[in-house]
Amino acid sequence: MLKSDLVNVLVAKRGVTQKQAEATIETIFDSMKDALVRGENIEIRGLGAFHVKHYEGYQGRNPKTGEVIPVKPKRGLLFRTGKELRDRVNRGNEGSSPAGGSAPTGI
Amino acid sequence: MTKADIIESVYERVGFSKKESAEIVELVFDQLKETLERGDKVKISGFGNFLVRFKKARVGRNPQTGKEIEISARRVLTFRPSQVLKAALNEGRVPEGDGPSAEDDDDAPDADEDDDE
Repeated sequence: MLKSDLVNVLVAKRGVTQKQAEATIETIFDSMKDALVRGENIEIRGLGAFHVKHYEGYQGRNPKTGEVIPVKPKRGLLFRTGKELRDRVNRGNEGSSPAGGSAPTGI
Repeated sequence: MTKADIIESVYERVGFSKKESAEIVELVFDQLKETLERGDKVKISGFGNFLVRFKKARVGRNPQTGKEIEISARRVLTFRPSQVLKAALNEGRVPEGDGPSAEDDDDAPDADEDDDE
């Protein structure tokens, strides 16, 4: 599934215009991105949480030459799946899901 | 940030009513979850990819008791941030020291989406 599929779903299910649907999808992910760039964490109930992790800089070393290389501080992003979704994704594994998730090999 | 903030952004920027914005945001996340539940991946360009990975059963250990336990085979969701998002997280930051917000000088260098036509 791509962003364009989400746009199509909004058009089909909500009767909004193509342009509105595109703007909506962009807004959702842009606002999430902006929050993360500000250093904010995001928590979406049922889906999961995004956590901005700060890594300190340190003095690294080239293991071959022994040369000291400064490693700059950086920020990374961690995602932890929410409970509801974690269970739903895993249940798809048992073949009991009505949505045809009966083939655990199909990844 | 929570869903309420995302709904607020949609309300402000797209112009739906509050109620409609809430329903639409809800629908988008429901759609994401349904897709992932089926085992399909979701690729959001500029943000990242969500994908379902199949993990084989393995033997783990209760770290408290040291007792071995079998961890059953399972499907787990992983998220990989896009290069764009990773870069955005690290640009415009003060290189040293932890100044709270000294990044106002270069806003939106990442806003080169081509949605204008």
